[in-house]
Amino acid sequence: MKTLTVHKVIFRTDELFELQLERETIQFEPGSCLALFNDDESRPYSIASGTGEDKLRFLLRQVVDGTVSQWLALRKPGDKVQVSAPFGWFRPGAAIGSRSVFIATGTGIAPFLSYFRSHSLAPPECCLYGVRRCVEAFNLEELQRVKNFSLALSQEQTDDHFYGRVTGLLEQIPLADDIHYYLCGLDAMIAETSVWLENHGVAYTQIHREIFFYEDEQH
Amino acid sequence: MKMNNTDQWLYTSQNESRGYIQPQSLDELWFHTGTNCNLRCPFCLEGSKPGDNRIEFLTLTESQKFIDEALLLGVKKFSFTGGEPFVNPEFISILTAALAHRPCLVLTNATEPLMNQMGAILPLLKQPNPLSFRVSLDHPDPIKHDESRGKGNFRKALDTLGRLYQAGFGVSIARHMLPGEDSAAVDQAYAPYFETAGVPADLTIIKFPEFHLPGSLPQVTEITEGCMTRYLSAERRAAFMCNFSKMIVKINGQCGVYACTLVDDVAAYDLGDTLHKAMQQRVMLGHHRCYSCFAGGASCSEGVEKK
Repeated sequence: MKTLTVHKVIFRTDELFELQLERETIQFEPGSCLALFNDDESRPYSIASGTGEDKLRFLLRQVVDGTVSQWLALRKPGDKVQVSAPFGWFRPGAAIGSRSVFIATGTGIAPFLSYFRSHSLAPPECCLYGVRRCVEAFNLEELQRVKNFSLALSQEQTDDHFYGRVTGLLEQIPLADDIHYYLCGLDAMIAETSVWLENHGVAYTQIHREIFFYEDEQH
Repeated sequence: MKMNNTDQWLYTSQNESRGYIQPQSLDELWFHTGTNCNLRCPFCLEGSKPGDNRIEFLTLTESQKFIDEALLLGVKKFSFTGGEPFVNPEFISILTAALAHRPCLVLTNATEPLMNQMGAILPLLKQPNPLSFRVSLDHPDPIKHDESRGKGNFRKALDTLGRLYQAGFGVSIARHMLPGEDSAAVDQAYAPYFETAGVPADLTIIKFPEFHLPGSLPQVTEITEGCMTRYLSAERRAAFMCNFSKMIVKINGQCGVYACTLVDDVAAYDLGDTLHKAMQQRVMLGHHRCYSCFAGGASCSEGVEKK
């Protein structure tokens, strides 16, 4: 366990925020999580930083009854936060030399942001990102520079983005034996997309999943 | 209980000689891969959760040393538990090293850490020894399972169980045992789910009683030396896991050989840094979980086939 210093807390909406911690000597790779502790409990959060950055960035949503996320939302620059060593079982783009497709909802974009910020010269074949409203999309300008990026808004109609759930964009993703598909975010999206991919001939071993939150937590 | 060779270790609170097992052979060697887990089950006897490091990740180098020593002692099987073993970044390498020599068993929750590594797991079918998985399906009611393990995890674990079986791996399940349950009826309640997953209806089901959280001290009957001969046959005594197995645990950067899979929360059960030393030590039955083995014959082992 290490103690890190809060650099900044940046709110996007009343419930969504980015927590930045001083990195110190933490080594990680895209997809790595840290467990962040309040006084009593811990929760795992995926690092959104590139591996070359000096800050650890986390994308958080304040969960109703979520004592850790609510505690973290109240941190100020200079406060201390205890963290675990990095760990993880979701490694976007880790299959060396293979192609990949990224699909995320909500704060589930964090491991993909980490990948883009670490491996800008090896982009995925495409990246789909689903949120409810445009204001909830983290780092949209940065993401729009990624090849074949699409944003889906499930509760807001605009001229610029797809209106509907991100699964409504699945028909546009490339399908090939050598592509790995990385799914991160809402459980319902991951379940639906996994079934869709298998039904379209994608091998189970090419599908990688990381659930960040459940549909009935959406309040 | 505090230290080996103290009165607390050797005698019960009533000053009677404590019951013990003198290990006979090393048939099965367990490895604790670490208490880091993707799930956070409130009942976990290891206290495992995401980021936890009470028991640290074993590395391939550390594991290989004990694999080699165990082979010299005639081990017949290697088994792995956590935490969730597939959270350990070196687990596939460790498993590959073990499968080169003996059959292996992995205890798993069969969710994302395993699912995401299926591409690396399937080639293990080509190893010289068979690999089996014991998947946790706590209750035959998915809602009850998911209350502790997280929404949707019964369905995921069942689906993974089926995929592992269809691929050619051995599979079994572990479930909770409730006081006073009709065990046959509970086992039977899994049948429709086994059918859905395409696994045999008579799949092995390992039942575990309440083991309590690590470090807890529930009041249980103390086991005296007299109890061991008065109430148990030689066959029952031989079936204690500490008689024929040990577990490798890494705490504070050091690997130790523990008496069994259930006592890693008490330092007195660290029997040394080599299997040779550990096998020479009596295991005093002073942990509250020892009573489960005494009273119910609870065992994490699925037995060992003679090679």
